[in-house]
Amino acid sequence: MSEAIQPAEIRQSGPRELEIRWSDEHTSVYDVVLLRRACRCALCIDEWTGAQILQPEQVSEDVRPERVDLVGRYAISINWSDAHSSGIYTFDYLRKLDPSLTEGEAGEET
Amino acid sequence: MSKFVNEESVLEILRTVQDPDLRRDIVSLGFIKDLAIDGGAVSFKVELTTPACPVKEQLQEECRSKVSAIPGVESVEVTMTAQTRSATSGSGVKLEGVKNIIAVASGKGGVGKSTTAINIALSLKQAGAQVGLLDADVYGPSMAMMFGIDGRPMVNEQKKIIPLVGHGVKVVSMGFLSEADRPVIWRGPMVHGLIRQFVEEVEWGEIDYLVVDLPPGTGDAQLSISQVVSISGAVIVTTPQDVSLIDARKGLKMFEQMKVPVLGIVENMSYFICPSCDGRHEIFRHGGGRDAATELGVEFLGEIPIDPSVVVGGDEGVPIVEKDPASGAAEAYFELAGNIARKLSVLAESGGGQQGPIMPGPIEWK
Repeated sequence: MSEAIQPAEIRQSGPRELEIRWSDEHTSVYDVVLLRRACRCALCIDEWTGAQILQPEQVSEDVRPERVDLVGRYAISINWSDAHSSGIYTFDYLRKLDPSLTEGEAGEET
Repeated sequence: MSKFVNEESVLEILRTVQDPDLRRDIVSLGFIKDLAIDGGAVSFKVELTTPACPVKEQLQEECRSKVSAIPGVESVEVTMTAQTRSATSGSGVKLEGVKNIIAVASGKGGVGKSTTAINIALSLKQAGAQVGLLDADVYGPSMAMMFGIDGRPMVNEQKKIIPLVGHGVKVVSMGFLSEADRPVIWRGPMVHGLIRQFVEEVEWGEIDYLVVDLPPGTGDAQLSISQVVSISGAVIVTTPQDVSLIDARKGLKMFEQMKVPVLGIVENMSYFICPSCDGRHEIFRHGGGRDAATELGVEFLGEIPIDPSVVVGGDEGVPIVEKDPASGAAEAYFELAGNIARKLSVLAESGGGQQGPIMPGPIEWK
């Protein structure tokens, strides 16, 4: 389970693009609005049932990160312009969010 | 004849000396410094990656005897020094001047984690390293007492906390913030904030090894500190009983999820050496720590005997490795510290837990 694929570099690559270059040389580019909608924190996902609380239409197309921080060695956290900041995006989760990496394997929701 | 003695012939023979952990010869590792040849007198320094190297004496002897064997050499002076390599990665808060951060953890309380952390710190210091100790056990701070330190740390002009110094080790404890007889009740978010403040606002100075005594268990506080600082490696303390091994597994899983390299498992209260008959008694089932390490695929770093003077040392504020360095328990700690330093050197040489800085700092979105 602990595949040692880690980000080699994380940077802003466009007005709404966050880019991660991984240690296996794959590069993922994330649309920040989709990232905001994919937040898995307790305010966005029901902790007990796993049901989606945050609805996609609640997230404006104008939402942008204000600041992206590393969390330990395993995740990033993002302070959003809509004042949301409780989400943690683990590297494992970010790998799963990259559509070019998940094709073939059914996108498992864990 | 001294005409045979030149730099090349000395380096050539030293190329046959290998560092057993890094598995390369000490010349290509760049360990040889200040090589000087004066007639038949040869002197040089061997700069290791840690002052706590367990094979320091062997290496020194090997260098000396091999160079002495060169024709024309009349005397050899080998000085062992060390430049501790850093195994911290680019993630987490950068602690200025701190090269390695060792987290000492346990799945549950009562396994002697704080005592182990203190004695690891002092063993590394005795080996010649600059050592700091961060007592992050917010649930039951006892380090101030075990270290024989009293008083509160001062704050400098930059509003940074200046660590207290006990037995040559810089100590910062959550205990400094609370009354001795009152357990600290912290909720998760408070722990996170406090730990963050603590690690960011301490003026550590130059530190080779910062030993962090984590609170027992796998809760908020452990998660927080692993999120806030970039730990080079974690050491898990356990006892021979089965329950405690189950807890150690939990600890291991937690670090695995947070991508903190686990340096290995230590078995505390492993056996008892009877002071009157000198016999070794295995009070609990012995060897459980070693079995668990094998099963979980991590290194077994050592076993520490039960020694009543360890506890007395803790209560008196003079830990065993300071009070009685010749005792069996102290020797076990020296060996343990050597193994930890060795593992960290290997990690540093292989580029830390990961390669290069992921992010030099937070990204401010434009």
